[in-house]
Amino acid sequence: MAVSPQLQAAIAAHRFGLGEPDLGIVGRDAEGWLAAQIGPADAARGSGLLDTPGALRLVADERERRELARNPPPGQTAEQVVAGHYRETLIADARSRLATAAATRRPFAERLHWFWANHFTVSVLKGSTRGLVGAFERDAIRPNIAGRFETLLVAATTHPAMLRYLDNWLSAGPNSRVVTFEARRAARRSEGARVSGINENLAREVLELHTLGAEGARNGAYTQADVTAFAAVLTGWRVARDPVADGNRFDRNWHEPGRKTVLGKSYPEGPEALLEVLRDLARHPATARFIATKLARHFVADEPPPALVDRLAAVYLRSDGQLGDLYRELIHHEAAWSTPPSKLKTPEEFVVSTARLLVAGERMFERPDINAAGAVFALGQRVMAAPSPAGWSDRGEDWLGPDAVWKRVEWATRLADRAGRSVDARRLAVESLGPRLGPETARQIERAADGSQALALLLLAPEFQRR
Amino acid sequence: MNSNPRHDRPLQSPTRRSLFTAAAAVTGSLAAWPTLTLAGAAGPGSNRLVLVILRGGLDGLGAAPAVGDADFAAARGPLGQYAAPPLRIDATFSLHPNLVELHAMVGQGEAAIVHAVGLPYRERSHFDAQQVLESGGTRPYELSTGWLGRALAASGSKGLALNTTVPLVLRGRADVDTWAPSVLPDPSADLVARLERMYAGDPALATALERARQLRADTPTAMQDAAPATMAGSGPRPGAFVTLSRRAAEFLAQPNGPQAAVLEIGGWDTHANQANPNGPLAAGLRQLDLGLAALRTGLSAGGAWGRTVVILVSEFGREVAVNGTLGTDHGTGGVAFVLGGAVQGGRVLADWPGLAKGQRHEGRDLRITNDLRALLKGVLGDHLQITARSLDVEVFPDSGKVKPLQLLRG
Repeated sequence: MAVSPQLQAAIAAHRFGLGEPDLGIVGRDAEGWLAAQIGPADAARGSGLLDTPGALRLVADERERRELARNPPPGQTAEQVVAGHYRETLIADARSRLATAAATRRPFAERLHWFWANHFTVSVLKGSTRGLVGAFERDAIRPNIAGRFETLLVAATTHPAMLRYLDNWLSAGPNSRVVTFEARRAARRSEGARVSGINENLAREVLELHTLGAEGARNGAYTQADVTAFAAVLTGWRVARDPVADGNRFDRNWHEPGRKTVLGKSYPEGPEALLEVLRDLARHPATARFIATKLARHFVADEPPPALVDRLAAVYLRSDGQLGDLYRELIHHEAAWSTPPSKLKTPEEFVVSTARLLVAGERMFERPDINAAGAVFALGQRVMAAPSPAGWSDRGEDWLGPDAVWKRVEWATRLADRAGRSVDARRLAVESLGPRLGPETARQIERAADGSQALALLLLAPEFQRR
Repeated sequence: MNSNPRHDRPLQSPTRRSLFTAAAAVTGSLAAWPTLTLAGAAGPGSNRLVLVILRGGLDGLGAAPAVGDADFAAARGPLGQYAAPPLRIDATFSLHPNLVELHAMVGQGEAAIVHAVGLPYRERSHFDAQQVLESGGTRPYELSTGWLGRALAASGSKGLALNTTVPLVLRGRADVDTWAPSVLPDPSADLVARLERMYAGDPALATALERARQLRADTPTAMQDAAPATMAGSGPRPGAFVTLSRRAAEFLAQPNGPQAAVLEIGGWDTHANQANPNGPLAAGLRQLDLGLAALRTGLSAGGAWGRTVVILVSEFGREVAVNGTLGTDHGTGGVAFVLGGAVQGGRVLADWPGLAKGQRHEGRDLRITNDLRALLKGVLGDHLQITARSLDVEVFPDSGKVKPLQLLRG
């Protein structure tokens, strides 16, 4: 390979990691540095973090808050009473996500955690999911990023956050006991039934966004009939009423009786059918292709090299979806090192890599005057609040609008005003970018009017904005 | 197809650059607004177009219920119940009770409803449908630029996205700016000049920076106030919509402002709780209605409403029947609205397919009888003077058989 060890270290640090203040951290064996990071993601840092049962208790408590809000205490509006309910959890979750990434010594694993959390998006923008997103990432994603895809898929699909985010907890089989009962009750009271049938939201998105991909639908890998049948399989997968009895999320009373046919295969009634469908989806060639494409797009290029995608898809199928094998293939593939750094960092990557560059680590995310989560938000990407189940865009053009770039300039300027006097941006540029530091950027930093301006230029340099 | 279409425009001409630098030297004086004029921009008094994309799949039968259809009540069940009576348009159609301002515009002959409308795309994926809606193709991902971008390029006009990023519909070779409110003070002109030199080898970053700087200089001070807390990502929540509408009107009303602006409003994916008077559909329509009123007020004040057309479209409609959670799942046929002083309004354009199960698409959805492209072609042709050939070939490729709808005043 024609790439020098120094250049490889720079590519490893930025393309596969979150930047390092000194490329000496990577050393001379960049591939080895990355390979050693493959495994479950670090435990999340921070305090005030709830596990899934704890987060579900918080959700259950919201009902009490709503009752209280009918008679709010003096000086508080009802809205304030309810709005405050999730505040601490949302702040702790967002801060933890950023601080963990800023401080980790395994940034490749952290990037993979972000990748999968985005692949299986759940968002605090949906009221019924607020308070559960952090627990979802910590319990369903972090432990499972380097096992088999099927394990990750099952963990994500059956987590209460996903069941609520995509409405499955409210979806009932049209011939289920609860629908029959509700219909009778409603008729007695001559009103509409509250629970009456299927909601196919989760079924569709598992097929389109999590496994086979939209291209799968276009190529006829699945049809509307498959969505409907899969939705019937999913009925009964609800959120346990008692969060302590967390293991039992399947409610037979909501489940559609009888066998269902998904993608031409018949599945039995009952909870096991979901696991069987997910296993078959995980092994589908369209899934292999979809995951391979997304992974290559995320790390290498918006339009990833076809040879790399083919290779990753083949490894996926051969290894039965062993994600660790996939990552190893990726970091040992020639295209991972030879493709020019064309990817634009997302706002979250930009802010976290800035924190790492300044070795501000967790401290940066504790300082209210810097408010890193607020910064990511201002740059167009509110942490844990993706706008749709498709997650955040992984294409540079979607982050390259004039206004988006301008907001990066504004933020970098303000941060550099505070931090620029205490760092030597010229030295930092050399140590963090290595051979990737281009002559024009080096010249502009060298000629900057003062330390703050030099740091702003480094943060905004193409070499730091792209990876 | 060019993967980075909006970055291959030549950078600033020397004249404009020197003009800008001079203006910036006067402490970023806001007298710099004439620099927004671009070589190809249409002159003062030219027509204006606003496209509002309703992301998530607006329920056409929720927004514009066909209460006079004999099958409506049975087909819609609990969704046919409204907190207040729907606002009557004619014997068949009404508007959701929260669309008060829009209803008034229909009454004044300034707004038209196009019903049972949809794309050539018939599947139910948001992401594919939005791709088709914005690209103007017939299949997802066959085109990588947007129909409005191509139309503006054809007429040499300029577009504006009221968002941090450029939506697909505006991508192409057209001149497109983006604008969103900011909370931070502007960086120094000196730093920006240095950044420009540093970006010499990265045209995409260089272009974005240059465009942003111009737009900041062109924004009246009153508009540089605090950003609403919702200006994030690609799907602004409804709360920001009124603010953005007001600002869109101010930009469009400038004599040399953009000819077309694109606004986006999300929150229409109403899988649950749709008929609730405080639910997502009712709240979204209220915000939308207020935003439309803000557009009308702002453009009227600037003397531009009479030459404005506003189009509201969504990627698809929803199933006719209620789902298991008092909401609706993804469907096909939906509704579009066309309003503005230039519109021949006060009417519903629909070749009504009916709501009985046998009349629905796949037994589920409102059948599409109006091709959305007919509406768009009608407005682009009559209002922005895009030639028929350009519409048939470039703007909406292979759409020769789709005849433009007549929507404007004669």
